Amino acid sequence: MRSASRYFLAILFCGFSLLRLDAQCPNRPNPGTVVQDPLSLNSVNGTLKAELTMRHSVDAGGYNHYCMNYATSNGDVEAPTLRLKQGDRLVLDVKDRIVSDDDSAGMEAMDMSVPAGKICGDGGTMTLSSTNVHFHGLNVSPHCHQDDVLTTLIQPGKPAFQFNIPIPKDEPPGLYWYHPHVHGFTEFQVNGGAAGALIVEGMDKFRPEVAGLTERVFIVRQQYLVPWVPGPYQLTINYQVSAFPTFPAPIINMKPNEKQFWRVANATIQDFMPLQVWFNGKPQKLELIALDGYPLAKPRFEETILLPPAGRAEFIVQGPAQDNEAVFMSLGYSTGPTGNPDLQQELAKIQVSADANDSQQTKTTEPTVRIPMGKLKFTGLSQQKPTALRKLYFSEEFGGTNGPIQFYITVDGQKQQVFKGNEKPVITTHVGAVEDWIVENRALETHAFHMHQIHFLVTEVDGKPVKNQDLRDTIEIPFWEGPGHPYHSVKMRMDFRDPTIAGTFVFHCHILLHEDLGMMHKILVLPK
Amino acid sequence: MQKSLKSLLSRWTAGLVVICVVSTMAAGASKPHYLVANDDVPPALATSVSFFTVSTSGTLTLKTNVLIGRGGIAGGYFAANRVNVLNSGNNQCVYASTAQGGEINGIVVKTLQIGGHAVGSKNDTGASNGVGLAMNAKYLYASFTDSNTIGTFHVKPGCSLTFVGDTTVAGLNGGVIDGMVIHGNMMVVTYGDGSIESFNISAGKPVSNGDKQNSTGSRKGNTYPSGVDITQDGHYAIFGDTSPFTVVEVSDISSGKLTPTIVYQLGKTMNSSNILLSPDESLLYISDNQGGRVSAAFFDKGTGKLTKGCVSGPLKGFVSNWSYVASLALEQTTGTGGALYVAEFGAPSSIGIINVKSSAGKCTLSESSHSPVSDPNSPGLLSIEAFPPRPF
Repeated sequence: MRSASRYFLAILFCGFSLLRLDAQCPNRPNPGTVVQDPLSLNSVNGTLKAELTMRHSVDAGGYNHYCMNYATSNGDVEAPTLRLKQGDRLVLDVKDRIVSDDDSAGMEAMDMSVPAGKICGDGGTMTLSSTNVHFHGLNVSPHCHQDDVLTTLIQPGKPAFQFNIPIPKDEPPGLYWYHPHVHGFTEFQVNGGAAGALIVEGMDKFRPEVAGLTERVFIVRQQYLVPWVPGPYQLTINYQVSAFPTFPAPIINMKPNEKQFWRVANATIQDFMPLQVWFNGKPQKLELIALDGYPLAKPRFEETILLPPAGRAEFIVQGPAQDNEAVFMSLGYSTGPTGNPDLQQELAKIQVSADANDSQQTKTTEPTVRIPMGKLKFTGLSQQKPTALRKLYFSEEFGGTNGPIQFYITVDGQKQQVFKGNEKPVITTHVGAVEDWIVENRALETHAFHMHQIHFLVTEVDGKPVKNQDLRDTIEIPFWEGPGHPYHSVKMRMDFRDPTIAGTFVFHCHILLHEDLGMMHKILVLPK
Repeated sequence: MQKSLKSLLSRWTAGLVVICVVSTMAAGASKPHYLVANDDVPPALATSVSFFTVSTSGTLTLKTNVLIGRGGIAGGYFAANRVNVLNSGNNQCVYASTAQGGEINGIVVKTLQIGGHAVGSKNDTGASNGVGLAMNAKYLYASFTDSNTIGTFHVKPGCSLTFVGDTTVAGLNGGVIDGMVIHGNMMVVTYGDGSIESFNISAGKPVSNGDKQNSTGSRKGNTYPSGVDITQDGHYAIFGDTSPFTVVEVSDISSGKLTPTIVYQLGKTMNSSNILLSPDESLLYISDNQGGRVSAAFFDKGTGKLTKGCVSGPLKGFVSNWSYVASLALEQTTGTGGALYVAEFGAPSSIGIINVKSSAGKCTLSESSHSPVSDPNSPGLLSIEAFPPRPF
């Protein structure tokens, strides 16, 4: 019946598309134009205060837009970049002004009602028009008015809901992102573009390689006409459709041989993106600085940087000489027999000219004093003795165009079941614990494991120690090749030492359809 | 005199033969020959059944589409065959289901008009994965993938139906009903959790034969029986698996019950949910659901063994115009079946036409220059069927 409800949603969604043609969202850039960075909102005197309004419209091509608008004197701007420093406070008012003929509020549905007694915000039933915000990657509290997705619900037409989040003083500087996280509907709003960057400033203090470089923020999104029907999709880069050769390619301007610091977020609903920069058809070395908002202990050079859905990479790109043809690519990626095809796509052409950047919103960092990495959260995690070892696995039931029809993430030994809003946490631990988790993929489709509230240290892949122990908040776990083959797995060290994160939060697959259909569970971290 | 009589009798006999042959040819010429498609569409749009005429060379021409109401889902199980045909006595019918409302419509082949329709019980729907159909001259069975029930319907003259009742079913591990086929008094089904089960349908409503079991493939790993076919003599049930490879399982059902399946890995294409035996049972056609190809394996109807055969190249339009191949149908009712048709799931969908050659233990599958034929009425075609149908 849960699935039936989802298809009932299809009726609403299709009707919604047809009926709501009046534009509530700003126009998006024309194909083939210069890619502009998102508008930046900076904290002032330790606080960033802003208001975002969630709206919805449908473009001429039939694509649903969900936009998190920031009002400026020149009109609404979509999904600005929120820029804060360690120790700052984010005060974000969010209003839901989705105007719809959606009557999904009345449907008996997907176990989406907020558990009784725990209401944050407007409460009520989660519908296509409800929203909330997850601050993806931030190592902050899971409680109401902070990074709580389990009980926070913002309903259309209600007064603004205020998020009030202190950024920890030891928060890793880097690229985070924000997006709606209403269970059962996350995919719809993110597919519509409701996602933006959040940057904790100060990368240059930990990674002086980026000091003085022009900084670019690229948010790659993905839009399907109807998100759950397999078929053609479009990638966009900062809202410009990137579908070359169907449309002219977006243009990234650089000066000849210029080094730029690129901060790239994979805000797609399900695309695994192996990123490359090509000069004359050949991939170039990229100097990788940070992954998932956490600076690397030591930069490394990579030709390909794989970003799972929700992953972020920050790297230095050296532009080509004047006469080279250069492109920013996302290669094709096999997600397995039951996965969706992730096709190769040219994200943008890199256009070289001596006067590039003059008209763009870019930021140049200044050289500053270096701070040792030991000052950051999670430092020394590899030396910690784990207090528990847990095994979890992804699995699916499948057999048709809907792909798999049931999506599970299960703690080994427990019963396979999909997420329910009123479920008890499947894992209970306590502040101070350091745990090793092995997450295995028993499905014929690659999954993207995401943990809320903390980063984790990747220590092993397929039972073998990894060369680079990176701190991540989202990691791909490749599909199972079938009988006779072992399951792929990732071993990761979870750090629950910070009392700030005590409470109940979730872990899930960040392919958003999977999350919406229940490939998610709760964990409870008890106070010490 | 005797010679004259003999001669006269011979002439009469010859004359009768000629008359019979001419009559048969005339009847044959007027007999409709269709490729039928259940035009699945998104929920808000009108679902229809498209009728394509089949030329002598096997090419297809859209003749008409018959509206059967709203309530499609433009997707679902590959192996839930949502269109079935009846060619029995005076009853020449096409039955097609709509997923959302769980409605089944009967279309009179002669007039291409709806002859009747029926729904099951209040909860019978297939809104998530469709409503599969299987039938004989007396009963039509509908697999409702949401309610996990098999609805039994009495087949009435004029392609109408009456609902008899429901049988609640579930896989060993709680799975939803997927593939379904009947042969004589036996029904064989697959569930989405890797288990299979057979039923006795001699009294109309299915009664389990008590042989529910996990298939051998599913016990060894994530390869789950999905589509199912049965040999003409009822000796073997053949299962096409949802699998990372081309995997087919065969169960000896000559005892009237399922026996443990034997697993055949026949290739490295992706997902083999849809299968179809050729009329002479020498070939098993297999859709490579997620690889955009079709393949054929050699089948030994005496032993039930399968051996690798041949595979087509990627069919035209795969990825660019459509995403999956699904159910299969054949041009002819004898031999290897003439041209092979395959549903191509896209927006719009299409039907692939594949020429089959098979002799001396070798085969080839090559896409016709007339392929694909667009089905403009469906953005989610999964189920096709030929009329007249294969004899078993």
